[in-house]
Amino acid sequence: MRSKVAKRILAETPEETKIFARLYADIVVRVNQLLKAKGFSQKDLADKLEKRPSEVNKWLIGEHNFTLRSLAKLEAELKEPIINIPQRKPIGTSGYVTVFRNINTDVTYTNTWKKSKSKNKKSLTNVS
Amino acid sequence: MHTNNNVNIFALEIWDDEGAKCTFYTVKYDDVDSNETDLFFNKYDAIAAYKKANQELLSFVLYSIGNDHGAIDELFNRDENEVNGLPVQGKIKVNELTYHYPDFPLRLYALKITNNIVILFNGGVKDDQTNQTSSLHIEWRAACEFAKRIIEAIRDGSINVDKKNRKLINYDGSEEIIL
Repeated sequence: MRSKVAKRILAETPEETKIFARLYADIVVRVNQLLKAKGFSQKDLADKLEKRPSEVNKWLIGEHNFTLRSLAKLEAELKEPIINIPQRKPIGTSGYVTVFRNINTDVTYTNTWKKSKSKNKKSLTNVS
Repeated sequence: MHTNNNVNIFALEIWDDEGAKCTFYTVKYDDVDSNETDLFFNKYDAIAAYKKANQELLSFVLYSIGNDHGAIDELFNRDENEVNGLPVQGKIKVNELTYHYPDFPLRLYALKITNNIVILFNGGVKDDQTNQTSSLHIEWRAACEFAKRIIEAIRDGSINVDKKNRKLINYDGSEEIIL
């Protein structure tokens, strides 16, 4: 059940407004939770960022218009990602996926699964 | 606008329970067609200068609190107003459910029962430093009065908090709550 007024206003609300409000809250929650997890006080963070505690307090309660730069500063001090970008791996990780192709082009159709021989495979590329 | 809220009967009714994390209740005066929270959102939806802020606040309430996080301290338990002057045992805290974007103009008052049950009241535009001096004063007093009566009802068992189902239940087991 949802209020009809809320339904109507929500239906008229641009998607970007909904996304903004949601992201904004997510960032405020994430930063506060990281601080708790790291055992940092607001003063600790203010010292690290070389900001006044009152200014950092504004960051933590959300009364700060986050910019990429301020988020980067926070991320650098908290040493944890604040925003996750899909497909991007954290700095310092390594690994690759090897893609194979079957070089035997004369393949007969079979409806049973067989384990292929590894010597018939040639590395096509490494994707890192 | 009610001028003597002390004597008015009001109902507690569900305003939204579609989110994964939080059920929102609202209050509705016996002799008024709309509940207080609908009155708030309707009012500021109709004022061009506040329409966008109103939409953002509604998105914040329904998505961020209602669905994503619940009424956790990071989003909710800030700018509390302790109401000392009311004749209630101890103090009650009416939360100012503030969407803390810089210079965000709207304030919506609420009473957090648990992280998963919140009662929304009315609100307005904060145009001064404190609730006592801003034009929100009347809404703030009304929210305090609602909160006082709801807390008293929970204390004396007139209302039971069903945490498992995120519901408020009348003492007789019904969901119709009149105070």
